[in-house]
Amino acid sequence: MTRFILKRCGLALASLFILSVTIFVLIRLTGDPATLLAAPEAKEADLQAIRVQLGLDRSWPVQYVHFVGGALRGDFGTSLYYRVPAGALYWQRLPASLQLAAAAMAISLLVGLSVGILAAVHVGRWWDSVGKLIALLGLSMPSFWLGLLLIYFFAVYLHWLPTSGRGTAAHLVMPAVALSGYFTAAHMRLTRSSMLDVLGSDYVKLARLKGLPESWVLVKHAFKNALIPVVTLAGINLVLMINVAVVVETVFAWPGIGRLLYEGIEFRDFPVVQTVVLLGGVMVIAANLTVDILYAWIDPRIRLER
Amino acid sequence: MRANRRCFLGCVVLVLGLVLMAPARSPAAPQGTVIYAVHITIAPAWFDPADNPGQITPFIIQYALHDAVIKPMPAGMMTPSLAESWTASKDGRVYEFVLRKNVVFHNGDPMTAEDVKFSFERYRGAGAKLMKEKVEAVTIVDPHRVRFHLKEPWPDFMGFYGSPATGAGWIVPKKYVEKVGDDGFKKAPIGAGPFKLASMTPGVEIVLEAHEKYWRKTPKVKRIVMKSVPEGSTRLAMLKRGEAHIAYKTDGPLGEEVKKDSNLDLVFSGGIATWWLQFGDMNDPKSPWHNQKVRLAASLALDRKALSEAETLGASPPTGSIIPREFEWALPVEPHPYDPKRAKQLLVEAGYPNGFDAGFITPIPPYYSFAEAVAGYLGAIGIKAKVQKMERAVMFDKRRKKELGDICLCANGGFGNAVTRIDADIVSTGVHSVLKDAEIDRLFAEQSRESDPKKREALLKRIQQRVVDQAYFAPIYQLQWPNGVSKAMKVSGMGLIPTFYYTGPFEEIELR
Repeated sequence: MTRFILKRCGLALASLFILSVTIFVLIRLTGDPATLLAAPEAKEADLQAIRVQLGLDRSWPVQYVHFVGGALRGDFGTSLYYRVPAGALYWQRLPASLQLAAAAMAISLLVGLSVGILAAVHVGRWWDSVGKLIALLGLSMPSFWLGLLLIYFFAVYLHWLPTSGRGTAAHLVMPAVALSGYFTAAHMRLTRSSMLDVLGSDYVKLARLKGLPESWVLVKHAFKNALIPVVTLAGINLVLMINVAVVVETVFAWPGIGRLLYEGIEFRDFPVVQTVVLLGGVMVIAANLTVDILYAWIDPRIRLER
Repeated sequence: MRANRRCFLGCVVLVLGLVLMAPARSPAAPQGTVIYAVHITIAPAWFDPADNPGQITPFIIQYALHDAVIKPMPAGMMTPSLAESWTASKDGRVYEFVLRKNVVFHNGDPMTAEDVKFSFERYRGAGAKLMKEKVEAVTIVDPHRVRFHLKEPWPDFMGFYGSPATGAGWIVPKKYVEKVGDDGFKKAPIGAGPFKLASMTPGVEIVLEAHEKYWRKTPKVKRIVMKSVPEGSTRLAMLKRGEAHIAYKTDGPLGEEVKKDSNLDLVFSGGIATWWLQFGDMNDPKSPWHNQKVRLAASLALDRKALSEAETLGASPPTGSIIPREFEWALPVEPHPYDPKRAKQLLVEAGYPNGFDAGFITPIPPYYSFAEAVAGYLGAIGIKAKVQKMERAVMFDKRRKKELGDICLCANGGFGNAVTRIDADIVSTGVHSVLKDAEIDRLFAEQSRESDPKKREALLKRIQQRVVDQAYFAPIYQLQWPNGVSKAMKVSGMGLIPTFYYTGPFEEIELR
């Protein structure tokens, strides 16, 4: 197990290196931030002055070494737009994203798992149709559209919830629901199909033949085994929710890292984009490791195989 | 009876006592909180005028936090603010500013000539290099009098120093900046403006509080909260729900919604950004755009009023010049009428009876629907053009390198005067100019050497007239924004300063 973890850590470092190079190069291919920071009628000398001031006049390898060296010390550079450390901006925005992702994940698991199990147990019947409808709406309705509908109904029409921003629990409700829409559908579908697989398996049939109560069969034998792919997906989705809730955070003016990334890309704020992507990458790798360990915990056969 | 009288007297004394003991409260004391839903993210870099990029955006906050020696105000584009007055020497080499004596910064320090000199010398934003090349020295005559000595006469000095074209005339406190440094200043800026920074959450909101000792007048509002809300529909929802008093940029269908709501007003602001069609390859004799008649046909094909209706709810006045009529030395030019019949006739005369394929029309992002509408009008007379979408930085880069080709739906929104616009967009060396007209270049060089203001103005107007006669551009309109304002606002400050897109002066903003 230790050898396996060490091997995975080595691969993780290699992945991070590739990620850092990729994002460093890609963001620089999208344009010169000096053209966005300067006045439209600024002359070439003004642009060059900005490049020198921001250190963008140096060669790419020099910039990369500077970036990586700084990142290893926890210094991700200074935001070109905000003119404050990019790392500080990230850590400042992270709690908002974690809060939003946790709330959205809770909603998606609560609804997705419940409806998924009910749809599998009552396959082809009323509950199954409800599940299909939820899946259809969740997967096909863009989150910005769902967000705007929620704002107009619950904030403007009913006056129940604040339209945007962050502060109270009431501020969290609509962004969390809007963000959870797609993920609820995804969790529901996977739970349903996974449960259907398991419910048709021999060991579930045996459990029923043994005369165990149906609820016991579902919870103890079926659901626990059906949970493995759902946990995997939820782990990946949680990282996605934290890092790429760009649209929802923009619609609800939620001050998370998704919006920070959007602003970074919009203004070609290299240090901000590099920081968000790199730290997001660290999060993905950490989440994958955690999910692997959870796998092994839920199903001992996996531990033995590895 | 006696007891009653005693009781009555006691009551009178009590009431008088309460009245006298009540805290003195001026009727002019700032009151209430005004909440803005701002369409962009406010950056701390904008707290320091020394870094102004030459764009108008930082003034969304600088008009509240800071003050300038001379600045655009409702009274005019160059209104004395921290200076009571200014004079220029006859030889045009010395500008003297007499400063107000009752100005204090937010920390209570008085504003003096030292601060004016320091702010100019510290300035490093757009145009800094040019200004410092032209200015030989800044001397302090006395604590409230400062002189700028130029190396040679430079008629545009006030155009740069006295307008938001630069931040060189926006004053910061020397002692404080030297004490806290540049980074410290961005974290906790101190200015001489009508509002001071109370708190800031980057990317979320900033809170400002009234500077009650502001020299011009005590602000009427106690507190201002500017929330960054990039999504237009959310800004509108905030307005409708009463969570915001002012929502910037509620254009298109959002503006229509504002109009329908009896609790809201639709208010227009701005106008400094002129929009026009630029014909990229008009210098190439093989290009149809080389022919003046074709360029004129394109201009006559545009229904500017309808474009203004569709894009800005009719707020943007059509124009016949790429230079805003409010600018110093601007030649007021009436827009071409919408005349597709004559436009088609001109195409026939130019040798294009069936029109031609004009390639792409590239707008400044994200004005794609505007470009689609323009392409529709051109298509109606036979000039076929497809809209090309480009990412903002890429488009800016190509425009600067003059690689856009075909047609550009372009704009310029910088402050300044006719000279700054001609310099950027018309003379052959202009940063965005695709024009190559030797006569214009000659006239421009001549005006830069001319010391007689009247002769200079005549030369500048000749340049503008030549641009119109040759139909080098197809000017469209001076862009104005529709904004949503709650009826709870007595004075929103929107549209008070000519051509300014944001609210101001902040000391005038008032709740009902």
